Amino acid sequence: MSMKQTKVWLILTIALSLLGLASACSKTPEGTSDNGAPTTTGKAFTPKGDEGTITGTIAYNGTPPAAKKIDTSADPVCGQKSPNLATEDNVITNGKLGYAFVYIKDGATTDGTKVGDYTFTAPSDTVTLDQNGCHYRPHVLGAMVNQKLNITNSDPTQHNIHFTPKNNPDWNQSQPNGAPPLTHSFARSEVLVPVKCNQHPWMKAYVGVLKHPFFAVSAEDGTFTIKGVPPGTYTVAAWHEGGATGTEKTMSVTVPASGSAKADFAFGEGASAAGAPSLEMMPAIEVPVVGHH
Amino acid sequence: MSKGLHRFALLVACATFFLIIAGALVTSHDAGLATNDWPLSNGQVFPKMVGNLFWEHGHRMVATTVGLLTIALVVFLFAKEKRRWVRRLGLLALFGVIAQGLLGGLTVKLNLPLAVSAAHATLAQLFFCTTVSLAVFTSQSWMANRPLLDERPGPPLRYICSAAAATIFLQLIIGATLRHSATWDKPLPTDLLLTHIAGAFAVTLLLGSASLLVLRRYRDEAFLTRPALVALALLLVQLSLGVAAYIVRAASPNDPQPLNPMVGVTVAHVACGALVFATTIVLTLRVFKVLRPAEQALKFSAATQRG
Repeated sequence: MSMKQTKVWLILTIALSLLGLASACSKTPEGTSDNGAPTTTGKAFTPKGDEGTITGTIAYNGTPPAAKKIDTSADPVCGQKSPNLATEDNVITNGKLGYAFVYIKDGATTDGTKVGDYTFTAPSDTVTLDQNGCHYRPHVLGAMVNQKLNITNSDPTQHNIHFTPKNNPDWNQSQPNGAPPLTHSFARSEVLVPVKCNQHPWMKAYVGVLKHPFFAVSAEDGTFTIKGVPPGTYTVAAWHEGGATGTEKTMSVTVPASGSAKADFAFGEGASAAGAPSLEMMPAIEVPVVGHH
Repeated sequence: MSKGLHRFALLVACATFFLIIAGALVTSHDAGLATNDWPLSNGQVFPKMVGNLFWEHGHRMVATTVGLLTIALVVFLFAKEKRRWVRRLGLLALFGVIAQGLLGGLTVKLNLPLAVSAAHATLAQLFFCTTVSLAVFTSQSWMANRPLLDERPGPPLRYICSAAAATIFLQLIIGATLRHSATWDKPLPTDLLLTHIAGAFAVTLLLGSASLLVLRRYRDEAFLTRPALVALALLLVQLSLGVAAYIVRAASPNDPQPLNPMVGVTVAHVACGALVFATTIVLTLRVFKVLRPAEQALKFSAATQRG
């Protein structure tokens, strides 16, 4: 073999090796966290029995943008199962907004300990994100850091689940019809992680990932309840999708011992009175977590 | 000279142009990750072509065809072509198409990192120009004996054409980076967009000057005026498509999915960009073929007078 031929084969071998390396690096073991986020230690949160709740309603003022009909002709199965598929970015019933993500963003318990200084254990039960009728159910959901997300495909067609986070690694998996559920978890908190299907580009969902369990998603009637909140004064945030990064509003809430606090938010026209609007998505507070990965 | 070889080189160039369109369709539909598998699609050679998998797997099938055609072209060149440098150009095209396939696989496996995706889109344009050049070099018009023409006084056309080709290539890199910076549901980054617009002005100035100078100085030389006219016409179409692409792309984040007007216009902009680059390469090659540099022209003129 001549010197030139040797060089050519060498270059080809290096290129193929790089491709193989990239291929191996892009695979994440099923059911594990993707990265080695630093494990921090803090004061373990222990319920004292005097926890309260934060309840409220998310209102939408003014005329909401009309839902847009989705053309599902690219995959006939989608049209058969969901003939009237439409966008879900503004699910409004009688002026109340569904699928708003509400969570404690900051604050401290009555003994002065910041909520960020506590550690919380990720629950062992999973959160399910289903692909059904070529849209995600639910449209917005919350999960704790390292809590397992169960991704199911209830459609007779293939989907592709693609998380596009900023603080966590990108994750993209194909899921043929009839395939077993996929599991995934996030190692870092992030409000919110967009989810999309590259197979059916209209499919969108959002996952709010927090290191504490104090979050909720508003129901279709706009109501929400955050349970098990230790007494204290907190900044509560409500996030609603729309635009490039969504809109977030915050307000200060004091939760009494064994009591309930109210946090009503409003989005839409002239809605700034209920909560201060935020121009961009803010990173969730970093609370030390007990779960290891 | 083999007419068959030239026709086959033309076929490869046309197939490559079709491949660029197929690739642009993948980007505009945001279909690059419709499967996380490569080179197979979901473990299959022929998966069910529904949803965005139609675009992604379709692109892979066209790319495979172009790869096979390129191999055949190289075999054809080594069998029929006597000029060693043309055969070597064929080999370069083969390496180009292999590298392009590997880049395509790499970008899927790494979830479309901007640098790899932009490199994939840029190499596509370079490969296309290599196949166009092969078609030019194997053509009858290229190999015909042509009298040399003198560069006229003024800015030398050889330099202006070269600068135009280089600027268009840079503009293609910026355009590819811009397209892969944000999917259809995200706004385009302003800094890149402004750079691309500035690049359009630079291309218009250089290519417009080159074409108009050719048309003014060598109006009877169809060998030069044809590509100059085509380049000028394509440039005007491309500028219009650029404005249209900006308008539809700016509106697309509000759409529930990539809609046909946005897909159609942005893909046409990519395709026309490739044609502008290819035509400029043809014009530049022809200018270098028939124009005698000014200093040589002077020497030639002096020698003729002495003789």
